[in-house]
Amino acid sequence: MAPGLRQFTERTGDGAGEPLLDIENGEDLMYVQPGVSIVIGNRSPESEGTVYISTKKVVWLSDVDRTKGYSVDFLSLSLHAVSRDPEAYSSPCIYTQIETGEDGDESEDSDSECNHALDLLKVTEMRLVPSDPGQLDTLFQILCECAELNPEPIKVLAIILHYIDTDSYVFDNVYSDNEEHNWIFSADQLVDETAEGEDSEWNFSQNPSSSIGHSNGDHDLARTVLEVGW
Amino acid sequence: MYIAAEQSQKDIHNAERLEIMLFFSYFKDLVGKEVTVELKNDLAIRGTLHSVDQYLNIKLENTRVVDQDKYPHMLSVRNCFIRGSVVRYVQLPPEGVDVDLLHDATRREARGG
Repeated sequence: MAPGLRQFTERTGDGAGEPLLDIENGEDLMYVQPGVSIVIGNRSPESEGTVYISTKKVVWLSDVDRTKGYSVDFLSLSLHAVSRDPEAYSSPCIYTQIETGEDGDESEDSDSECNHALDLLKVTEMRLVPSDPGQLDTLFQILCECAELNPEPIKVLAIILHYIDTDSYVFDNVYSDNEEHNWIFSADQLVDETAEGEDSEWNFSQNPSSSIGHSNGDHDLARTVLEVGW
Repeated sequence: MYIAAEQSQKDIHNAERLEIMLFFSYFKDLVGKEVTVELKNDLAIRGTLHSVDQYLNIKLENTRVVDQDKYPHMLSVRNCFIRGSVVRYVQLPPEGVDVDLLHDATRREARGG
């Protein structure tokens, strides 16, 4: 499961140093961007630091405090984007969403400023704010390239085509990191789109431990899926 | 025994690759069209499909968040990269869907190529 945002303190070299990467396992430094502050969740920005983008992760190290740094693996970075609207955030930045592996609505939790202990595991958003906004597009591109170097290490992917009423098609992309969930829905079930819902052959009970509703972890969506008329 | 197990792993892997490649090539034809990508964290983003790679990572342009009240901070985002594994659904424009082709392809998949 994706570990989310983590403390990162392993540095090499003098002064602010550089992050210690896992070179033995093929990790390589791809890009360095100094003059970047980091914003974790809805907290105030940290003092300025340097962003290191490797083939495996994004690391931010404080320039002034050697004990302060964070990292997030590309495997945990759900989404990244360039944000330029001052109403969303006061400075142009790279906006990222982080997969925490926890259920529930973490984004609400991270709003609670009263929680002084920085609970990194629950952090679902991170912003990187370069002092030079001209760097944003480059950072975005590098992040895209490195994210593509990190495909999912898991084996089972089921993609299911749903046909929701008449005005759109939906692809459902289900990854499982558990070998036991190696279920494959027969594509023949996709064929009879004229069948009217109730008598659908679409039967998830073959493997109750991994019904699609549970794999999504979202009951509203499970409902949506089950409403699909096959 | 060991070899058999390894072989079956390989078969599973190959079948998956095939499946992914099928949908990958399918999505590639949708580049430039308007899609809605729904993430597993319930965020739904609508935008123009800029590109998709073999892992079904998706790049969108001219994005807007469907539920803007819930995600006001995403309003400012105009382009974004979405990791394939966090995508729950992609809603496609009906005119971008060649039903016959898809049915044919999925039937072939079901019979194991």
